[in-house]
Amino acid sequence: MKILVALKRVADPANHNKVKIPAAGDKIDTAGLEWQINPFDLYALETALRLTEDGKAPKTRLGEVVAVTLGPAETETNLRSALATGADRAIRVDTTDDALDGRLVAAALQKLVEEEKPDLVLMGKQVVDGENNYVGQALAELLDWPMATFAATIKEEAGGLLVGREVDGGVSTLRVKFPAVVTVDLRIVAPDSVRSSKTAEGFKYPYEEVRFAPLPAIMQAKKKPLAVKKLADLVGGATLSSKYVKFEAPPARKAGVKVKDVQELVQKLATEAKAI
Amino acid sequence: MVDTSVSFMSSLCMGIIEEQVLIPYPAMAAEQKETLHGVIDSVKQLLGPRAEDFRKWDRAGEMPAAFVEELKQFGLFGLVIPEEFGGMGFKSASYARTLQEIAKYDASVAVTVGAHSSIGMRGLLLFGTPEQKQRYLPKLATGEMIAAFALTEAGAGSDAAALKTRAERDGDGWVLTGNKLWITNGGIADFFTVFARTGELEGKPHITAFIVTRDMPGVSVGTHEDKMGLRASSTTTVHFDGVRVPAENVLGEENKGFKVAMAILNNGRTGLGGGAIGAMKKLIEHSTKYANERKTFGKSIREYGMIKLKVGQMVVDCYATEAAVEMVAALIDGGYEDYAVEAAISKVFASEALWHTADEALQIAGGNGYMCEYPYERMIRDARINRIFEGTNEILRLFIALTAMNDVGSQLKELSSSMRGLFDDPIKGFGVLRQYALKHASLVTGIPRARSRFTLVSPELHEATTVFEELTRHLAAAVDRILRKHGRNIIGKQLASRRLANIMIDLFVLACVISRVNASLAALGAEKAAKEVDILKVFSGQVERRVKHAFGLIDINDDELIKGLADHAFDAEKFSWDNV
Repeated sequence: MKILVALKRVADPANHNKVKIPAAGDKIDTAGLEWQINPFDLYALETALRLTEDGKAPKTRLGEVVAVTLGPAETETNLRSALATGADRAIRVDTTDDALDGRLVAAALQKLVEEEKPDLVLMGKQVVDGENNYVGQALAELLDWPMATFAATIKEEAGGLLVGREVDGGVSTLRVKFPAVVTVDLRIVAPDSVRSSKTAEGFKYPYEEVRFAPLPAIMQAKKKPLAVKKLADLVGGATLSSKYVKFEAPPARKAGVKVKDVQELVQKLATEAKAI
Repeated sequence: MVDTSVSFMSSLCMGIIEEQVLIPYPAMAAEQKETLHGVIDSVKQLLGPRAEDFRKWDRAGEMPAAFVEELKQFGLFGLVIPEEFGGMGFKSASYARTLQEIAKYDASVAVTVGAHSSIGMRGLLLFGTPEQKQRYLPKLATGEMIAAFALTEAGAGSDAAALKTRAERDGDGWVLTGNKLWITNGGIADFFTVFARTGELEGKPHITAFIVTRDMPGVSVGTHEDKMGLRASSTTTVHFDGVRVPAENVLGEENKGFKVAMAILNNGRTGLGGGAIGAMKKLIEHSTKYANERKTFGKSIREYGMIKLKVGQMVVDCYATEAAVEMVAALIDGGYEDYAVEAAISKVFASEALWHTADEALQIAGGNGYMCEYPYERMIRDARINRIFEGTNEILRLFIALTAMNDVGSQLKELSSSMRGLFDDPIKGFGVLRQYALKHASLVTGIPRARSRFTLVSPELHEATTVFEELTRHLAAAVDRILRKHGRNIIGKQLASRRLANIMIDLFVLACVISRVNASLAALGAEKAAKEVDILKVFSGQVERRVKHAFGLIDINDDELIKGLADHAFDAEKFSWDNV
């Protein structure tokens, strides 16, 4: 199986208090932010690795995983880390965040998918910087491929996947045929959420998160291929279809108060917060 | 073209500031940084979730074999081994940075990796034959073999001449017999760098280094020592009972084992320094969080001057330690031939800065600091050994002071042949010092002014460089005065040597801080580097006061009185005044 995993670099959500908006409100000041891969995209990478291996022997790749990102040269650090974790190849589309919107990203990915011809495209269900949830669906539409969003479990079947999706009030199970686009949710990294056709039934991964690279893999990743493409070569003259008008910080929260008892809580919720 | 034969500190003792050795401050290449980002990330994911385990293993006094296996799988034993042998190929700078990261999570893990990489197998890296490397490095890289450095014995620590372990020729090999003490990784090691007597000449022992593996008949290890700190790391005795060691396992030249041991310790010093920095950074995190949250008298304790003083000093000390350790790593990686004094300084400074930081961090936490549920008491126990192992700070101070005087002597050509052996044979070497002392003053005064000044440092740091230049003249004068005062007896004047060493330690570290701040100023501009400039102001002020004080004590001091009090106590073996 060949899988293309789309990764987005985001500012470390743990450092959200470092996000600054200049007085002009025309952009977000990214100086001093620490970057990492969007956690949901990391789950997608973990999913791709699980789908291309026998869980018992995770060092042997039984398929191909291609990691893709759109961003400036610094994002190659994130791609190298994906390569160290187990991806076979990486592609960076050279651009900057402010030159992108969801439509352009989906259009660029469409072109890459047409070139790479993967059986499956995986990505996170959403991105934790702007909380956007768009590219997966838009890409499936552009490609006219079957799609499953918010995947919590994936089992490989002949010619496709059985995907369990978390929805309000339960799990909806979809059968998608290759080639397909799947976006993944948090629970996809549970020990038995993903099973490739090579992994024995009942196998559980010995960890509940994403895997991380052992040190020798970090050195080996330097030798794996990392291609760079120009955005214009993929999307031609297409331009932004959505523009940010203004950025402003959310109003500061007022300090809370301590209440004596439930009675006072209920009273304040009713009269002050007007929540009940 | 950089002249790598220059030693910054021995030149400084002559009053010459070889600024091009330290400036510009070493910077990492982009690729090296990228690799380290990956390493830091992975180490965080490996060790971050184990905090509770590390606490448990400290109590239990042992780390489980399964965890050591995880460390091997993860690749932590291959850090300094060249890539062609399956390692990461890290030079000192990346290695020290990695140990720093490990030490943030657990000192026992850091020392397990450090004892392997800094000293256990470093002799093989530095002196091994191609065959020896081919044979052992691949296994050492994967952790299939873990290495230990076996020098210390019951009667011989830094005093290598007192070694009792012997190796005797037997056909084309050797037979090794003796007992080693306090061997880090002893219980888990398969590869030992062992030092043994192989003869003597005119009463001086000849020492040779050997590669001994655990599977050789006659090698055994004792039980796990019950230690104050680093409790989860393995420390044992190692016994060699008629072990047959083939001739090809001699490491380095026969009878040159003392040189091998010193080279290993010097070359591996940045591991300890890196570990100390990691622990200090962690302590600063703990203390600042604690001070932000803890309230007394209705105020957060971060508002109090006495708490600020402690935290501010921690920051200054950590910055200075990192500057010194990174600089020493750059000297080693840059191929400088003579960095032993600078490396020793970084060890002494780092271990004492860490101790002070750990002590103050515990103090900030007050009674909580004394409780085992908080991290401080463990970190203080773990930190304590750094002032003792890899050469006690006392021995290293003597080494720093005496080597400098040896180097200074070597500058005087007519005396150089008799001075060269000063440290190897200090008593004999010092016979010439009286003559030297007479020549030294004229030499120092003859130094061209340009060579006793910083020219590569931004004028914005003029205050600090002026202090440094003035103190350098003090140092040169101090060397001169100490030698004039004590002549051949300097070797017995430990307090005078200590005073000189302290001056040298402060000056080297200050020079490193100047270089580091200078680089930040150039890269970031005055506004963004402002806090670093403040660190330099504080540190250079502190150094200035300490050095001037020490200088003032060279001629007039209480050395003899205080030694007399010690002798009095030694004779009585107790405190002699009782009011009841």
